[in-house]
Amino acid sequence: MPIHEKSLIRPENLHSQENLTIDGVDVSGHWSTFIEPRVVTDYNENLEDEIAALPGGEYIHRCWQCGSCTNACPVNAINPDFNPRFWIYLVRLGMEDELLRDKDIIWQCVSCNKCTYVCPRDVAPEGVMKATAHWLELKGHRPKSPSILFDEVFSEQVFATGKIEEGRIIRDFFKRTGQPLMQDWLVEMVKRLLSGLPLKLMMTMGLATLFRPRTRGWGPARAAIEEYVHEKEAEQRRALGLDGSAGDIE
Amino acid sequence: MSKPVLVLGGGPAGLSAAHALAGIGRKVLLVDKEDRLGGAPIHSGYAKLVPSGEWAKDAIGAMVDRVTGREPIEVRTSTTVKAFEGAPGAFTVTLADDSRHEVDSAILCTGFTHFDSVNKPEWGFGTFPDVVTTTQVEQMISSGQGVRCPSDGRRPKRVAILLCVGSRDRQIGREWCSKVCCTVSCNLAMEIREELPDCHVYIYYMDIRTYGLHEDAYYWRSQEEFKVKYIKARIAEVTSDGHKLIVKGEDTLVKRPITIPFDLVVHAIGMDPNVDNLLLASIFDVKLEKHGHIERASVYSAMGATSRPGIFVAGAATGPETIDDSIAQGQAAAMAALAQVQGAPVAAE
Repeated sequence: MPIHEKSLIRPENLHSQENLTIDGVDVSGHWSTFIEPRVVTDYNENLEDEIAALPGGEYIHRCWQCGSCTNACPVNAINPDFNPRFWIYLVRLGMEDELLRDKDIIWQCVSCNKCTYVCPRDVAPEGVMKATAHWLELKGHRPKSPSILFDEVFSEQVFATGKIEEGRIIRDFFKRTGQPLMQDWLVEMVKRLLSGLPLKLMMTMGLATLFRPRTRGWGPARAAIEEYVHEKEAEQRRALGLDGSAGDIE
Repeated sequence: MSKPVLVLGGGPAGLSAAHALAGIGRKVLLVDKEDRLGGAPIHSGYAKLVPSGEWAKDAIGAMVDRVTGREPIEVRTSTTVKAFEGAPGAFTVTLADDSRHEVDSAILCTGFTHFDSVNKPEWGFGTFPDVVTTTQVEQMISSGQGVRCPSDGRRPKRVAILLCVGSRDRQIGREWCSKVCCTVSCNLAMEIREELPDCHVYIYYMDIRTYGLHEDAYYWRSQEEFKVKYIKARIAEVTSDGHKLIVKGEDTLVKRPITIPFDLVVHAIGMDPNVDNLLLASIFDVKLEKHGHIERASVYSAMGATSRPGIFVAGAATGPETIDDSIAQGQAAAMAALAQVQGAPVAAE
């Protein structure tokens, strides 16, 4: 298409008749191209507040659309549709339907933080991406991303025992993401570990896997952390207009 | 005859204050750290000024001429103030050569310092020779050499001007708009197009702030008559393919990525507080405002007053300022200093 502006119009809004003659003038094909006007009627005026209520999204209101984030973004360099600047714009205007068109790529942020480094207004766009991905999950538009699942496995274990045990984290993570435990790279890594590690260290690791030791006196800390996490989760669900029942203190 | 008024700094504001005071027969001690008067427009080699279009060396040069060798004005160049004590009407100023002078008030016209672009390393200044500042382009024009690429002296075919370099940027603690760079950049873009009609000029902006009467004369005119291209985008970094500078940006208005090779990239550098402001603040015992400029005691009631009675301020010492406003403020501060000597109440404190 020689006219680049055409690429900016969604295909469903471009119409042309293959065979059309009006008043004796043949306007078949692209001569009859008609662009359907785009009318946006559904705004979610709370969208900015919703994103701002999630960790990382607090400073979205500072954005003045300079595009530093998008220009610094390595994911954008590979996929021009990955555009943090544009999503911040949509969120601030409350254009939820528009945002949802990109729901399958928003979570692809690699958290390199280049955008946060270049942003002249300290919007922390990486945080906004995180908050937006989180929002998509809480609203049920996206299944939980692998990185969220990993965070959950990781923190659940810390909450339960006050410690982390890498072997168990990997096992649980694979289970939750439906991956087989026997993966070539993992087998290879364990083989090399077995051949290279001192016996004493291996025994300590083996015992830790079997008996799952806890940090001494962890109970009160665990209770406090869990209370705080529930409180925060309930707060976020409320801010998003979702049912805030679980652990809700009101 | 009464004691002189100390005017510190011989730029537009200082020259204007000194001229105003001398005009009604007051003595003036005009001190400048440089070896000649004129301030930034002369020492940084500005080309044609906004909005008159006159060459800086003619316009500001004329201001220098009218205070040089004039009876009530004593000009002391290449010197600084070492100490300043006393009370309004009876201050003693000690210069770097230990000479002491009685003055009855002081006007600080100490101006600003250009932002140093090496503080924005991702935009290539100091890394690539063809990344320059607006000041350097001004010098290329005012020297008569013309706009050329410093690396090999060739005529650029494509020039990018990046706005807000050292302004409006929390990352580097410059939380102010430097006020003049948009208009200056529009002006330079037109100068470049006039000298090199085959050269394409792009301006990357966050907002265009050609306020007041500069809107049509600079912003519109550069677009309509000179076909300067404006891209609403802040670029992430300037790189090089070994021959040309590569500027990657997104045209945020149409949501399209654009990577353009450039021959010359120009940083529209902002105005920092004068690097000597902390020293000046301690010598003169005046307060600085939160960005580091000299604080004005009042916006409405006492023009040019500082936090210390008897000491006044004018021009870019108070924050980014245009040349014509600096000149107006110089006269206003002169008036305030005179009124104070006549016993008028001072609003400071």
